[in-house]
Amino acid sequence: MKKFVVRRIGYSVLSLLLLSLTIFFFVRVTGDPAVLLAEPGASAEDLRIIREQFGLDRPLWIQYGAFMENLLKGDFGKSFYYRTPVLELYLSRLPHSLLLAGAAMVFSLLIGIPTGIIAAVRVNRWWDSIGKVFALLGLSLPSFWVGLLLILFFSVYLEWLPSSGAGTAWHVIMPAFALGWYFAAAHMRLTRSSMLEVLGSEYVKLARLKGLPEALVIAKHAFKNALIPVLTLAGINLVIMVNVAVVVETVFAWPGVGRLLFEGISFRDFPVVQATVILGGAMIIVVNLVVDILYAVIDPRIRLER
Amino acid sequence: MPRFFLVAALTLAVLAPVPAPAAPEGTMTWAVHTTLAPTNFDPAETPGIITPFMVYYALHDALVKPMPGNPRAPSLAESWSASKDGLTYDFVLRKGVKFHNGEPLTAEDVKFSFERYRGTSAKILKDRVASIETPDAGRVRFRLKQPWPDFMTFYSTATGAGWIVPRKYVEKVGDDGFKKAPVGAGPYKFVSTQPGVEIVFEAFEQYWRKAPSVKRLVFKVIPDESTRLAALKRGEADIVYSIRGALAEELRRTPGLTLKPAVIQAPFWIYFADQWDPKSPWHDKRVRLAANHALDRTAINQAETLGFSKITWSIIPSTFDFFWQPPPYRYDPQQAKKLLAEAGYPNGFDGGEYFCDTAYANLAEAALNYLQAVGIRVRLRPLERAAFFKGFGEKKFKNLIQGASGAFGNAATRLEAFVVTGGTYVYGGYPDLDGLFAEQVNETNPRVRQQILHKIQQLVHDKVMFAHLWELAFINGAGPRVAESGLGLIAGHAYSAPYEDLKLKAK
Repeated sequence: MKKFVVRRIGYSVLSLLLLSLTIFFFVRVTGDPAVLLAEPGASAEDLRIIREQFGLDRPLWIQYGAFMENLLKGDFGKSFYYRTPVLELYLSRLPHSLLLAGAAMVFSLLIGIPTGIIAAVRVNRWWDSIGKVFALLGLSLPSFWVGLLLILFFSVYLEWLPSSGAGTAWHVIMPAFALGWYFAAAHMRLTRSSMLEVLGSEYVKLARLKGLPEALVIAKHAFKNALIPVLTLAGINLVIMVNVAVVVETVFAWPGVGRLLFEGISFRDFPVVQATVILGGAMIIVVNLVVDILYAVIDPRIRLER
Repeated sequence: MPRFFLVAALTLAVLAPVPAPAAPEGTMTWAVHTTLAPTNFDPAETPGIITPFMVYYALHDALVKPMPGNPRAPSLAESWSASKDGLTYDFVLRKGVKFHNGEPLTAEDVKFSFERYRGTSAKILKDRVASIETPDAGRVRFRLKQPWPDFMTFYSTATGAGWIVPRKYVEKVGDDGFKKAPVGAGPYKFVSTQPGVEIVFEAFEQYWRKAPSVKRLVFKVIPDESTRLAALKRGEADIVYSIRGALAEELRRTPGLTLKPAVIQAPFWIYFADQWDPKSPWHDKRVRLAANHALDRTAINQAETLGFSKITWSIIPSTFDFFWQPPPYRYDPQQAKKLLAEAGYPNGFDGGEYFCDTAYANLAEAALNYLQAVGIRVRLRPLERAAFFKGFGEKKFKNLIQGASGAFGNAATRLEAFVVTGGTYVYGGYPDLDGLFAEQVNETNPRVRQQILHKIQQLVHDKVMFAHLWELAFINGAGPRVAESGLGLIAGHAYSAPYEDLKLKAK
């Protein structure tokens, strides 16, 4: 077990290293931030000074070395645009992202799980078809479009909800819906397929043969077992929601990490992009690591197989 | 008897209580299109873009700055004068001005603000200033190493060096502390900020020009254009910045909302990058003239910015010092075709590629369609902004380039960047233009300098170096509560200003 855990941690550290290397070089391929920090027509001298100020005039490998050295000290550097420490910026946005992701997750589970169960129990009937259409729309409608429609309907026409920003419970409703729908659809599909698998298993057949009421068979025997993969996926999705709600946060002017990433990309703010991607990646890697270890604890075959 | 009444009336007039100026009240909220950062609180870090001036006009004040009706209005400086030899500039400071923390503003603060300035064009400024003297608390003297006719342009409009910060406070809290809790001498005090999300200011009633009428200013960053419009419609914002095309039309149609365009110092043009290549069709002046006659600028302006942009026929903003007004080109496709035929292209020709910044591909598409209509076949090459300006500056493009600039300065600084040989965005040069440019650099007589700069612009027009497209109108909107938005009060300024002039309607 110890060997398994050490190996998994090793893979995680390697993944993080590769991520840092990739993001460091990829952001630099996208262009020169000095051009975006000055007006077109700025003198070559001004552009040179900006590059010098941010250390962009040094060879790439020296820049990477300095970046990694600071990273190991927990220093993500200063934002080119904000001129403040990136970690400070990230942490000021994180609570908003956690709130939005939490609300979107609650929404996605409240919608996704019941519809998934009903679709599985009423398989190939009209309720199942409605569920499939719901899932198809959730997975295929772009969230910016859903967001704009929500704003138009609930803010402009009905005047029920604030159009943007954060601060009250009313502010979180529309972004949570726009973000959560995609995940609700994913959770619905997984619940449905997982339930179908469990409903066809021997122990459910036995429960039915024993004459247990159908509601009890579904709720106690089938649902409990079908829930495990759904919750695993929900855990990973929660981390994804925290870090990649770029479009939803931008449309609703929600002050989260996703919007920070958008701003970083818009201004070629390398330290901001690097920090948001690495911290987001680290969260996903850590969650996966924990899940892997928990699986290995629960199921000995996993740790013995690997 | 009448004398008695006169005396009585005068006595009453003197003794009657003077009505106190109304205390500031209410909140005005902006939906801002771009990200506002703590760096925008510090004039020392002014980048070469207009965004921070949105904050400076509230929080800070300058010795001399653009104001309504006066591009170089005395503000913290009551007056200033230049010596005859052009080597010394004397500023007399306004008496009794205080920073928000109660400290008096003195000559030492002016000197300190200049010395700590490290923003755009800092090197140009500092290389030319030999020393700054403060003979007393109310006077500042700049000594230059040699005459520099553009000193006031750079000190008062093109940089943030003339915006004054309190020396003692900055020294006490440091640069980072200043960005967290900035103190200035402007009409509004800093209250709070959430970087990139929101800034709140409150009226500073002791502001020297006048006490502001609106109590609180709130700037909310809303990146999406449709969401900004929704916020205006719902009354969550009173003023929104940058609404374009169909959404601007929607704003105009909505009862209670007002469209507030502001023409900014950002002309757009087509640059004929191949005009120096004898093998290129663009080498022929008649072809370049044909392109100019092919463009229906009025129609493009109407379609893209509802007719609010300005057609000025120049690459230099019409508000800049030394601007020369070129004569217009008539929209005449027949004339364009005739010119092409005379140049040897009766059936038109393949004009190559048309490079542009993707953000303004709408303008490029419209221009390109008009060129195609007369037989100039061009392919659009939109590039992301950074890549576009990098390629433009590194001279990697050919054929046609859609140029634009919102940089500060005057006609000379724009000509240097876009016309004179060796300029950042110049693909070739003309010796007569270069000679005239060199001649005006140290010319201290403004009248003579103006003549030379006008002559250069005339030659640029005669040589048909560019095809002007428009001077961009930045389209904003105001809600029903706003009596005075401040938009368009200062020529060429994109945002609301001066903030002390803003007014909300009475309830």
